[in-house]
Amino acid sequence: MTTADRSDAAPRGRMARAGALRVLGDLMWPVQAAAVAAVIGGWLAGQGTGLGWLALFLGAGALRAGLSQLSGRIAFAEGQAVVEAERRRLLDLLTLRPGRISSAEVAALLADKISLLAPELTRYRIAMTRVRVVPLVLLALVASQSWAAALVLLVAGPLIPVFMALIGMAAKEASAAQMIEVGAVNQVLIDRIAALPDVRLLGGFDRARAGFEGRVEALRARTMAVLRIAFLSSTVLELFAALGMAMIAVYVGFSLLGEIRFGTWGAPLTAGQGVFVLLLVPEFFQPLRDLAAAWHDRAAAAAVRDEVAALHADQGAPILGRGARGRRGAGAPSLVLCGGVARGIALPGITLSAGQSLAVTGPSGAGKSTLLDVLAGLLPLERGTLAVDGAALDHTTADGWRARLAFVPQVVHVPDVTLGAYLDPLATGVDPAEALAKAEAGGIVAALRDGLGTRLGETGAGVSGGEARRLALARAFVAGADVILADEPTADLDTDTGAKVIAALRRAQKDGAIVIAATHDPALIVALDGAAPMPGGVS
Amino acid sequence: MRRLCQIAATLWRADPWAMARGAAAALAVLMMGAALLGLSGWFVTAAAAAGLAGIGVAFDVFRPSAGVRFLALGRAGARYAERLLTHDATLRALAALRLTLLRQMEGLPVDTLRRMRSAGALTRVTADVDALDGLVLRLVLPALAALVTLLGAGLMLWWLVGLGLALAVASGVLVFGVLVLGVTLWLSTAPARRAEQARQALRHASMGLFRGHRDVIQQGRLPLARAQIDTADAEARTQEDHVARVDEGAGLALSLLIALAGTAALWLGGQAVAAGTLDPARAAIGLFVALALAEALMPLRRGVTELGRMLDAASRIDPTVAEETLEPRSVTPRPGAILALRDVTVTAPDRIQPLFEPLTLTLAPGDWVALTGASGSGKSSLLDVIAGLRGAAGGEILLSGLPLADWPEAQLRQHVTLLPQRALLVGGTIRENLALARDDLDDTMAWEVLRTVCLDHVIEQAGGLGAVLGEGGTGLSGGETRRLALARALLRRPALLLLDEPTEGLDDATARQVLTNIRAALPRAAVLMASHRAAERGTASRVVDMKYLGFGISHDPDQTVPPPDGLGKAQS
Repeated sequence: MTTADRSDAAPRGRMARAGALRVLGDLMWPVQAAAVAAVIGGWLAGQGTGLGWLALFLGAGALRAGLSQLSGRIAFAEGQAVVEAERRRLLDLLTLRPGRISSAEVAALLADKISLLAPELTRYRIAMTRVRVVPLVLLALVASQSWAAALVLLVAGPLIPVFMALIGMAAKEASAAQMIEVGAVNQVLIDRIAALPDVRLLGGFDRARAGFEGRVEALRARTMAVLRIAFLSSTVLELFAALGMAMIAVYVGFSLLGEIRFGTWGAPLTAGQGVFVLLLVPEFFQPLRDLAAAWHDRAAAAAVRDEVAALHADQGAPILGRGARGRRGAGAPSLVLCGGVARGIALPGITLSAGQSLAVTGPSGAGKSTLLDVLAGLLPLERGTLAVDGAALDHTTADGWRARLAFVPQVVHVPDVTLGAYLDPLATGVDPAEALAKAEAGGIVAALRDGLGTRLGETGAGVSGGEARRLALARAFVAGADVILADEPTADLDTDTGAKVIAALRRAQKDGAIVIAATHDPALIVALDGAAPMPGGVS
Repeated sequence: MRRLCQIAATLWRADPWAMARGAAAALAVLMMGAALLGLSGWFVTAAAAAGLAGIGVAFDVFRPSAGVRFLALGRAGARYAERLLTHDATLRALAALRLTLLRQMEGLPVDTLRRMRSAGALTRVTADVDALDGLVLRLVLPALAALVTLLGAGLMLWWLVGLGLALAVASGVLVFGVLVLGVTLWLSTAPARRAEQARQALRHASMGLFRGHRDVIQQGRLPLARAQIDTADAEARTQEDHVARVDEGAGLALSLLIALAGTAALWLGGQAVAAGTLDPARAAIGLFVALALAEALMPLRRGVTELGRMLDAASRIDPTVAEETLEPRSVTPRPGAILALRDVTVTAPDRIQPLFEPLTLTLAPGDWVALTGASGSGKSSLLDVIAGLRGAAGGEILLSGLPLADWPEAQLRQHVTLLPQRALLVGGTIRENLALARDDLDDTMAWEVLRTVCLDHVIEQAGGLGAVLGEGGTGLSGGETRRLALARALLRRPALLLLDEPTEGLDDATARQVLTNIRAALPRAAVLMASHRAAERGTASRVVDMKYLGFGISHDPDQTVPPPDGLGKAQS
């Protein structure tokens, strides 16, 4: 919470400074305009070019550029700080709560979407500050020279809220259109690439390409239909700016010719005044145009904030401990679960010590996986007690408990690393041969051309489900785990492969490990010491 | 850089007319903007001069004021056209680039394509295409428009004001503008590329952590994995900050350049006015045009600082398409057995030993053979080999009496159709999905094949052949998806039909009905089916059991596994 407050309060102060600097830079323009007016007035009066005015023009221009650059720097740094703080907050939240969000979503959020919070500060907020000040000041300056010219701007003035509404609508549609375009076309492309093996088998490359072209062309036509309307609304803004410029140029021209004799405060408009007024007009509209261009940034940032807020609102309990390498408990492992309730599910009472095994049974959905999560310290109990190695499992003991524990999930995630690195993730240098043999997995390595150097995972060799589970067991043995939790270790395996997995689990138990398996495989249930049905379920 | 130029050329060639329209509109906006400011400045100053001289009545106010109104409105209109036309051109160009990518991927081995189905690889491809959308919109078109505008403005100034001022303003802005942008490019490319790579590392590290989240926590690697993400993030931010500084510096330099050009215009104009060679109104044009040139120059900054990212993306995209080699050769199938396997063995990638014992098998027209065996015993791999998607490790495969390798791809696809285990549908209508199988698909044919796979009622209820499926064919249940893919395969009417668990996800009654219908629909086809269901095996005329060699063969007799029953007894 405090980080959030800080990250909000700090930009407000520094963003105000960035905004003020930029406004100050914008206000250098009237100075430059005055210098130009004086020079051209001098030419007309036959006085030649005043060097002082030239210096003022250049100096104010340089100051304007410098102030704008400084403002941009501060705003950028603030944008970065906000993004970094938000990313840290999100990681703090998500890393301690496994299974909340898909990895692709996290990656998109962390690497791409969070960054969209910055342009809102650097572009939208600065433009907003300028819109509040700059047009008013320029209007006052124009009015001081000619009330008629100011009136022209003032006609546009009350229309500004209308502009804003139009811009808002236009931007909404434009971003919606962009979403359709980018999202949909990418989806179509991914869809078609994914289907390429099938298309090849159907001999249909030409047909598939024609279909792709047709779909993309239809999307383009749809996007352009939306853009035609969206761009029209911001063209209204351009049109007013252009008309304002044209009307004032004509008014000033006619005044100077003496054809128009109203609109000034007494004396007729001088050449210098005319040039001055003319130069201020484009800058009167510029902040509005910039704001229109930045509107999309605000919409994008708001969408990201909503997504992040939804994640923060939906907080589950964090894991016990930090997920760090803990000091492993000495002596033999033991485990006592009593009266446990987690996620509203009643858990069976369990008492196990070294060399004992247990099958947790029950239909799918009965909470077997919840129980394993609780035993691994990934999910705190709502009620009841869990003692491991003689002490309560809590934030201080969980990392140490996990150091001696191994988890074999039903679907083993095989990362994109070499088999050697997979078996020994902490790079302890242990020879995995013995562990592989114990897990009935020696043959898997022997059959691979590059042995332990083979890359597994998405880009490498595929291993079947049963093979992956045996490799996961081997990894548990490499780490010297003496508590093994296995989730449906024999599901979807043929009898031979299942028997190998069971034999490996038995061997671990014989060596003094606690083995707990969630299962409804009769062969496995009968192979373990006992069975504990989930209280809610039927075994 | 060469690659990027190739891509730019590809994008431009996608629809040169659309590009030219966009470029013309972009040019019109800049030209009209410069002309509007120049004319306004001239008009006001000239009017003032005429007023001062007392000859206001003789001054032609109407043409200049009409010009100002025309340019003002025309510029707004041109801006609208520019935004619309450049977006249109970009969409067309990117569509063409995506089509090129699709065409290239057609040439990839099926194994590679199947692995690419993982979200990471495909989003990488789309992200690269997205990174390139700025190439035309923010770099090529604005740069062209700016260049022509500068040249045009220079010529106009030469004509209206004088050579010296034209050179000082237009060439000064051009030369120094190119210099500033060049330095910007030089300074920003490396950090922009590194920023993109760091961002990629960040993406990769987060995927790694959250995909194996439980493992990471379990092994106590969370602080380590977190530190990896934080490091990548810090690196990305450092590099992005670097790029931003260069960008801001470029903005500063370009603003100063415009201020200097304005000062030079005022100074040179003043000299000419003082010398009596130029009237003040024409002299004023120089300044106003110099100020207008900012609009041509400033937008280029963003395109230039994005170039590093584009280069990085471009390095992974090859816009050139190899010319399709036409296969004039064709083979003449021989009568007799459609498929003959002799001692065929298959290995998986990275593995040494074959997946199953050498297999010998012959299929005549009308034969229906079910392959059985443990999961992972190589049934799917064997079907892949027969479909010509990968090579066999040993043995001989004859297709209608000719070695499989002799068959040209197009003819092979007409002769053999494989329904893979994970057949994917595409987004679009039911009709579009079926039409992937043949050019001459009509509704009668479509409904007939849907009846064969018992899907006609489902499709009728879903809204007929025009019913739209989401990407990947979402909108149908698993069993329905399976049957639609099956229908697509049947439309090919092949001589040899390879089916990999064709009735997965169907209840027994439907499965039997579908298989019976297929038999009736393709009585002369030879069918080889990988199967693990009794319902499927029941329809087969023969069942072949594959002996899995697989992994985990213990070389040490002491390591052999006792049967699970024995274990159970030991425990009780």
